[in-house]
Amino acid sequence: MSISQYNGSAMIAMTGKGCVGIAADRRLGIRNMTKACDFKKVFQVNDKILVGFSGLATDLQTLEQRLRMRCNMYKLREEREISIEAFGNLVASMQYEKRFGYYFVEPVIAGLKADNSPYLMSSDIIGAQCFKDDFVVAGDTAETLFGMCESVYRPDLGPEELFEVLSQCLLSGVDRDCLAGWGATVYIMTPEGVRETHLKGRMD
Amino acid sequence: MMDLAFLDAPFTPACAGTDEPDGHALDALDAARPAMLGPQRALMPNLSEVQEHLKIVHGTTTLAFKYKSGVVVAVDSRASAGAYIASQNVKKVIEINQFLLGTMAGGAADCQYWQRYLGMRCRLFELNHKERISVAAASKLFQNILCGYRGYGLSIGTMVAGWDHKGPGLYYLDSEGARIEGNLFSVGSGSLFAYGILDSNYKYDMEFADAIELGRRAIYHATHNDAYSGGTVRVYHIDGKGWRRISEDDATVLHYQYNPGKK
Amino acid sequence: METMSRDVAAMSGYGASSAAAGPTMHQWSPYVMNSGTVMAICGKDFAVIAGDTRMSVGYQIQSRNVGKLLKVTDKAVLGTGGHCQADTLNLQKLLRARMVQYEHQNGKTPKTSAVAQLVSQMLYGRRFFPLLTKNIVAGLDEDGVGCVYTFDVVGCLERVRVACDGSAEELIQPVLDNLLERQHQQDKPKPPPLHVDLSREDVVNIVKDAFTSAGERDITTGDHVDIWVIDASGVHQEKFDLKYD
Repeated sequence: MSISQYNGSAMIAMTGKGCVGIAADRRLGIRNMTKACDFKKVFQVNDKILVGFSGLATDLQTLEQRLRMRCNMYKLREEREISIEAFGNLVASMQYEKRFGYYFVEPVIAGLKADNSPYLMSSDIIGAQCFKDDFVVAGDTAETLFGMCESVYRPDLGPEELFEVLSQCLLSGVDRDCLAGWGATVYIMTPEGVRETHLKGRMD
Repeated sequence: MMDLAFLDAPFTPACAGTDEPDGHALDALDAARPAMLGPQRALMPNLSEVQEHLKIVHGTTTLAFKYKSGVVVAVDSRASAGAYIASQNVKKVIEINQFLLGTMAGGAADCQYWQRYLGMRCRLFELNHKERISVAAASKLFQNILCGYRGYGLSIGTMVAGWDHKGPGLYYLDSEGARIEGNLFSVGSGSLFAYGILDSNYKYDMEFADAIELGRRAIYHATHNDAYSGGTVRVYHIDGKGWRRISEDDATVLHYQYNPGKK
Repeated sequence: METMSRDVAAMSGYGASSAAAGPTMHQWSPYVMNSGTVMAICGKDFAVIAGDTRMSVGYQIQSRNVGKLLKVTDKAVLGTGGHCQADTLNLQKLLRARMVQYEHQNGKTPKTSAVAQLVSQMLYGRRFFPLLTKNIVAGLDEDGVGCVYTFDVVGCLERVRVACDGSAEELIQPVLDNLLERQHQQDKPKPPPLHVDLSREDVVNIVKDAFTSAGERDITTGDHVDIWVIDASGVHQEKFDLKYD
């Protein structure tokens, strides 16, 4: 078993019309054993930025804490919120700092730019950025999520439709994944704010 | 000093030839024999590519226990290939005949094929002897097959449960050749989770309803805690009238039944 | 395949070091992966089975027009995906021969369930040197209801409503679950136990959509899809175009 499958995870981010969303599963496992069904994998950095990490849980927490520190320092020094473009570059460069002893996480970043247009980025474990305008997926069986998104996604969805599409894609995707699932959380970000919804999923 | 020279001789399984009792098992049902067994070993082709395509039910929870009025058999229904779920609806209880059940863990095809074959052998026994085969005899037949194929890489962990002239019978068998009689077994990756529930609640003098509920609850806990177990929880019961299918419940529905407060 | 792995060994310097380390164990692979995808869905009085027509080795396309489906009887079709083409042809040849034998011995064509059981036995007959084929048998059962059987490479048999096998299995299967089982759409009705509750046209459209999506992400699925519909009047064949990239 590879280290990125050790804790199990599944994550999708999508863009809509003036909105973005991230859906993530809630399982924390140790190989085959499920330890928790309420594990937090997606974090809100400010009003415009959502970031999710898929991969090894310990690295996920470390990277999130270090990012939070860097964002707070940025805010103190610059006296303004960090922009999502800068945040995306910050994540990737922090990953590349550890080029030869990397964090076993794949970050997924979704948010709104200054003009409220959607921004979507994913990165591999050593910080190769990949900008998309439709959807990105990460997790231990990315294929199932890709298959769902490829069939169901349509451009320019409103927040409600985006929520439904994200939910169906994640829930059906993790139903074919042993190591992810046990409920899901969906975050939908619009210029008005972020809505967090917990979904019931298969518990086996 | 003990003479260990025999270990140097190349390993030849007992049924590599064609004239042994169980070697014709494949022939009996199929003309396409396992081709070139000998040369295959000598040339050592790399068969690892096939491994990832096998439907493995290593990730499994199965259990069976005897109690005062019969045997309870309960299983999950997931088959996985790596982290991918190949099927969520596998029938892991194999109905050998009206009084015998087998469970499935390990290689799905191995269990399915050989238990179907065992069903044929049990029927032949009945026709020859004009009486039903005992659980002990049926499991012994199965063990003989498995011993014959030892070292070939079959992967089977099964329980044979049934009812005969001695009452309830329960045996655990595996592809290494073991055959153990007992009151309570659980097999598979989720077996430890199931044992946790079984061992703390099992009593031989249980009533029917309690025994069924114990089997179901133990499998449910295993599906919840073990990543490679899940799907449907199936419970069977065997008594003097043969086996009966008691229930089939979705593991997630059970989860919300057992934990009504949870979101 | 062989030369490629030797080149890689030479480049990484493994060849030299293993020679110095003493005797080398040689292995060869008896398989060539030609990949591809098949899927099947069964309805109340019909079954649909489909397979793409690309045959590839590694990153190369060998042919854009090699079918994956075989008509076994008037009511049963065998589809083989994710396969080694040589093994597929071998299996198809043996199966055709067994069908003729069966008809001569029994004076009737076998039921679809018997075809499925025979395929299972034939695959298990090669348990210790498997045919690298992932098979689906689709057809009508003795009541005229659509049926689909799936197999793993060594013949583990299961009757299902929908099946997908081969290189794009992981892409397509969750989509089929979502559209046909509707497990997370609380307000929609659940399908009956043995078949899906959609019309023939809907099922064929789902098959086309699924293959189009799979063709976007899976490099070994593409070119065309053979879509065969089996109903009481026989097997109806149709071809649908995918991308040529």
